Amino acid sequence: MFGYPLVNVLGACLIITSMLVVLARTGRAAAWLYSLQSLVLVAVLASLGAVTGSTELFTWSATAFATKVVLVPAILLFTLKKIGDEARTDLPPKLNPMKSVALVAVEVFVCFVAVSGIDLPTAAEVRPTLAVSLAHFFIGLTCIVIQRSIFKQIFGYCLMENGSHVTLALLAPQAPELVEIGVATDAIFAVIILAVLVWRMARYARTLDADDLCELKG
Amino acid sequence: MDYSILLICLLGCPVVAAIAMALLPAKATPRGLFEAIHVLSLAVVAVSGLWLVASVFAGSDIFALGGWFHLDGLGALFLGLIAVIAPATGLYSLPYVAHDVADGKLGPSQVKQYYVFFSLFVFSMILAVTSNNIIMMWVSVEATTLSTVFLVGVYRTKLALEAAWKYVIVCTAGVAFGLFGTLLVYANAADVMADAHQAVFWTSILPMAPALDHSLTMIAFVFAAIGFGTKAGLFPMHTWLPDAHSEAPSPVSALLSGVLLKCALLIVLRFYILAAANVGAGFPQLVMVILGVLSVGYAAFEVYRQRDIKRKLAYSSCENVGLIAVCFGIGGPLGIIAGLVHCIAHGLTKALMFCVAGNVMMKYHTRDLEKIKGILAVAPVTGVLFVAGCLALAGFPPFAMFVSEMAMILAGIAADALWLVALVLVALVVVIMALVTMITGSALGRAPEGMARKDVPALALVPECVLLALVVLLGVALPGPLFGSIERAGAIVMSYEDEYPASENLFEGALAALAGDEVEEEVSE
Repeated sequence: MFGYPLVNVLGACLIITSMLVVLARTGRAAAWLYSLQSLVLVAVLASLGAVTGSTELFTWSATAFATKVVLVPAILLFTLKKIGDEARTDLPPKLNPMKSVALVAVEVFVCFVAVSGIDLPTAAEVRPTLAVSLAHFFIGLTCIVIQRSIFKQIFGYCLMENGSHVTLALLAPQAPELVEIGVATDAIFAVIILAVLVWRMARYARTLDADDLCELKG
Repeated sequence: MDYSILLICLLGCPVVAAIAMALLPAKATPRGLFEAIHVLSLAVVAVSGLWLVASVFAGSDIFALGGWFHLDGLGALFLGLIAVIAPATGLYSLPYVAHDVADGKLGPSQVKQYYVFFSLFVFSMILAVTSNNIIMMWVSVEATTLSTVFLVGVYRTKLALEAAWKYVIVCTAGVAFGLFGTLLVYANAADVMADAHQAVFWTSILPMAPALDHSLTMIAFVFAAIGFGTKAGLFPMHTWLPDAHSEAPSPVSALLSGVLLKCALLIVLRFYILAAANVGAGFPQLVMVILGVLSVGYAAFEVYRQRDIKRKLAYSSCENVGLIAVCFGIGGPLGIIAGLVHCIAHGLTKALMFCVAGNVMMKYHTRDLEKIKGILAVAPVTGVLFVAGCLALAGFPPFAMFVSEMAMILAGIAADALWLVALVLVALVVVIMALVTMITGSALGRAPEGMARKDVPALALVPECVLLALVVLLGVALPGPLFGSIERAGAIVMSYEDEYPASENLFEGALAALAGDEVEEEVSE
């Protein structure tokens, strides 16, 4: 259960936790579950670091812990507090849980098929996790599309970003530190800006329902 | 002259300006101070940017900060666009913001927000065109989104916030595809290069491109085309574009449409070059043709259908980005040169038209074309600029877009893609109808009762006149150094094919080949 098998098992845990984020009923629960899923991501990075001997990955896991496990959920929980009663954040998604799970299952299957065609030496041992990271990306996209609450749509972006992070670690474990810092910093800024925009929407438009935000169609 | 220091100054100046303005208190600081810092910063961008562009046109290849930044002939063309359009729209912002303050649409904090994010926006675009590190390229494109969100939503109305939300969520999700494509290229390159740390540099990856894994390169190109194509406004990822362009202040719309879309296309082009060097030009050209034709076809009818002046112009941007993609899809020296010339021509023309739309909004307080009548009668200079801008956008001579569209048609004929040329021409006819209708309906006609005959402030008209002069100049005769640099940029794109060395006179050679083909056909007949 150590080495690459452990990485692949943790990869499977990523899918489960990301499903939990998508299915969370409240914004608060989604934030905590996202923190949990990021903890799994940290474990993936650290175990991958141990397997490949890449010291960069240990540093990445430390920065991922600070930014994804602590900072991003804290920003989102703070935003929820700021919004208060100005608008409803806990709107149900457009798709019921059963359909959401089925959709994610299809995405995971398609990603496994797509990744089986890739012939890259660095990815040979971690093909299942590579498929998971790609699927993770699409689960994030699904989260954006199916959520009615624009607050919960932020988690979709976060999941997509986590998927990219895992792919970067799997395919380029020796990537320079600055690359990872660039990607992580960008993600933090993106979450801050999305959170500010959600807060302004609640304050000025009194709604966080994506269905109310379609006056500009056409 | 150490151009690498100048490049760092160019990058640093807008950031320093943004930080300086951010540190000033919004309410206690007079608007003039924000304006002074804003103008000073843009003046430095204009001077240092054009200086760098001139040095690259003269044959320099500039690297800075250990290869993280690189300005080649291709990037210089786009930097030139930034160095011209950013100061022009920045100057136009002064009367525009003053008008919005007088109208009560913007308060002190929003004015500060506008000028701070305008500088950050300019910085992020310069970063995008000068980045040699492919991850930094992605970060810079993402940064263009993050720096413009609060410019799009600066009015804080429900519609502006809706547009800002759609913009940020569609673009960040879209550009995440670009990150995936970038990572695939990096991982692929790191596998074949002796020093994995060099695999982040575009200039290091390009010579190794033929050795990359073919299927991964194709997947990476599709991801990059979708991701950065979202930012460029290509159909069907364009959904953010009409909303953001219509709700943003007009100078921001001008900068978004005139420059930002082209910066995103430059990144797509960088990936196009890698993919062409790896799997041949056929695959990336096919992807570009599909995205381009869909964009042109869809957007042309939307241009005709829209009643809102800024949404009409926004869809026109989508259509023109599609035309550029079609040019790159046609390929060959003529196609690539046509695409690059169209980037410049459309950038200048659209910046002009969005600024003119801003004049119209200052005068009529509406974007509804049904209510905008008789511009020539109530604001004669704006009216003339409006008519000239519409004709320029429709591709009439003697304006710049006529040259690029003719080159595109020639490229299509040279490549035997007659069906493609026919499809594009049909769409162009629809666009011409829409723009001529705009002239007859809004520039002419009876002005609303009681509207005084008074144009917008001279400070708003000056940058527009400069832009129009450039559009005419490029339409009448492309200056030699500029055309030479376009050819050199074309040669960089064509570098995957050995028959087009960088020193070759691409355009004349291609035209001669086209004429030679016709003579051969006549002889055989």
